[in-house]
Amino acid sequence: MRNKLMSIQDAVAKYTWDGMTYCHGAAFPVGSDSIAFGKEMVKQGRKDLNVICHCGSSQVNLLAAVGAVRRVEVGFSGLEVYGFANGLNRAVTSGQTIIEDYSNGAMAFRFFGGAMNWPFVPATVNICNDQQWCSGDDPGVYPATGKIPTITDPFTGQTLGAFRSLRPEVAAIHVTMADIYGNAIMLGSEWSRFEMSRAAQKVVLVADKIVDTGCMRQYPNLVRIIAEVVDAVVWWPLCSWPQASCGLYDSDEEHMFYMNKAMKTAEGTEDYCRKWVEPYTTPSEYLDLIGPEKIAKLTATETAFLMDPYRKWIKSDVEVAELLDQAKG
Amino acid sequence: MEYTKQEFMAIVTGREIKDGQLIILGVGLSMLAGYFAQLNHAPNLMPFTEGGVYGSTPVGGLPWGIECNRISANATSFTNAIDALGFLVASGRCDNAVIGAAQVDQYGNVNTTGIWEDPPWRLGKYVPPRVRLNGSGGANDIAVGAKSYLIMASHEKRRFIEKVDYISSPGYLNGGDARQRCGFVGGGPSAIISTLGILRPDPVTKQFYLDAYFSFSSVEEIQDSTGWDLKVSPDVKVVPEPTEQELINIRTVDSTGSLRKKG
Repeated sequence: MRNKLMSIQDAVAKYTWDGMTYCHGAAFPVGSDSIAFGKEMVKQGRKDLNVICHCGSSQVNLLAAVGAVRRVEVGFSGLEVYGFANGLNRAVTSGQTIIEDYSNGAMAFRFFGGAMNWPFVPATVNICNDQQWCSGDDPGVYPATGKIPTITDPFTGQTLGAFRSLRPEVAAIHVTMADIYGNAIMLGSEWSRFEMSRAAQKVVLVADKIVDTGCMRQYPNLVRIIAEVVDAVVWWPLCSWPQASCGLYDSDEEHMFYMNKAMKTAEGTEDYCRKWVEPYTTPSEYLDLIGPEKIAKLTATETAFLMDPYRKWIKSDVEVAELLDQAKG
Repeated sequence: MEYTKQEFMAIVTGREIKDGQLIILGVGLSMLAGYFAQLNHAPNLMPFTEGGVYGSTPVGGLPWGIECNRISANATSFTNAIDALGFLVASGRCDNAVIGAAQVDQYGNVNTTGIWEDPPWRLGKYVPPRVRLNGSGGANDIAVGAKSYLIMASHEKRRFIEKVDYISSPGYLNGGDARQRCGFVGGGPSAIISTLGILRPDPVTKQFYLDAYFSFSSVEEIQDSTGWDLKVSPDVKVVPEPTEQELINIRTVDSTGSLRKKG
């Protein structure tokens, strides 16, 4: 097994490029997502992205707001109770970003198809309605016939649809904890991260905590993402901020509204990036920017007890820095 | 006790939820109605979310999302979307659900995707919407797969329209046996609960008619607020007022008062 730890700067430089098909996960609108990774993509000026995300989140909201997204496939594009995703919606209604709508179930089924290396997945949902008939890729035709084409069940003769399977070039997946090899445990709903980790051609994990592999040996049933499918591991505390990470921190209510309001305009987005995306390089600078008072509030989560079984395996900041040096060496 | 229209709508929706049902709940009114039912009259309700969060009740106020820590602090199981929306919902196993609607039409088709100057079905092509909403989320999977489900919507003429701009989640499509012809395993929407009354589908045509109205509303007001020729049940009823216990229970669930702020 190889130590796959990498800095967030190196991981973004190596695993992302202009024009790529980029997938992020869990892509929850309020909870888990690899948001820190998306911010680093903004810093490195990635553009013309084809984004596959199960749901909209503050990550795709930001990427679309800065004009980096050409196309997005999504099951739900909003931020739940925090409102419509202003940056993404601005990009969609202006015509800058093409959106291909599916349902939340469909996105998971399509990752499953990609993980199986199936060319398509039978569709019993998203058919006979506008998710089948409206295609951002083929807008001139209504009803569209190529997005979820009609097929026939060879056994019963029933008409079904066919979902195109998903094989994104790279997936950046947020996990609660990972070891240096890429074994990972996720607390809270997995959403589609299990299938996504097998569907993507390359997988970068972004972990709130780095733990010793002894943790995985104690709870092997909970290790749903395995080293065998992972290419790089990035340590980034409060990775999902301003969203939540189950067991570690709640969503930052104040910042969620503030950030989404800023995404409404190009000027607001620029101002937001200047204040909240550009100023830091290291995890400690990032934490300083959020501020100790805010961090204390967010980490006083009702879900904190879920972390109790794992605490003894968590690597300290110093240990992670040493492991990162070893990986470079 | 005084109450708001939103509170009444949540209570009336909750009354449609039966004890022992396996039910999938979304954020906002959906969770409030579901957890109200559990507290009020359905102690053996089995609620879960799209993310596969099972066995939990919210702590600290209304969850910000289906995966919020407020709904994850006392779960008995965390699984995933393929389990919740696939194995339990699209498969046909789930008994009930509550979904919201920006627009709903005479056959219970729901739009949560966008608002167009000229909708794609009329224009004959797909242009970006004037207003982008959120997309279907899991509601399409629910609309196709759940044995039955409830639609909650604010009763306004711009929302209750003859034909929605975009079908995000199919009700009875163009009526009759259209769902069966599409092979949908679920039974379709059993009711639309609005801020003014309860609409139910005609057993044959599947067009929604007025079954009952709230005491502060009237048949005329509801017909005026509906964009299709709304038929009225011959034995149209007044929905029973919320009891004191129901109001206590809805306020226990809605501890942050989100329903009381909306009038």
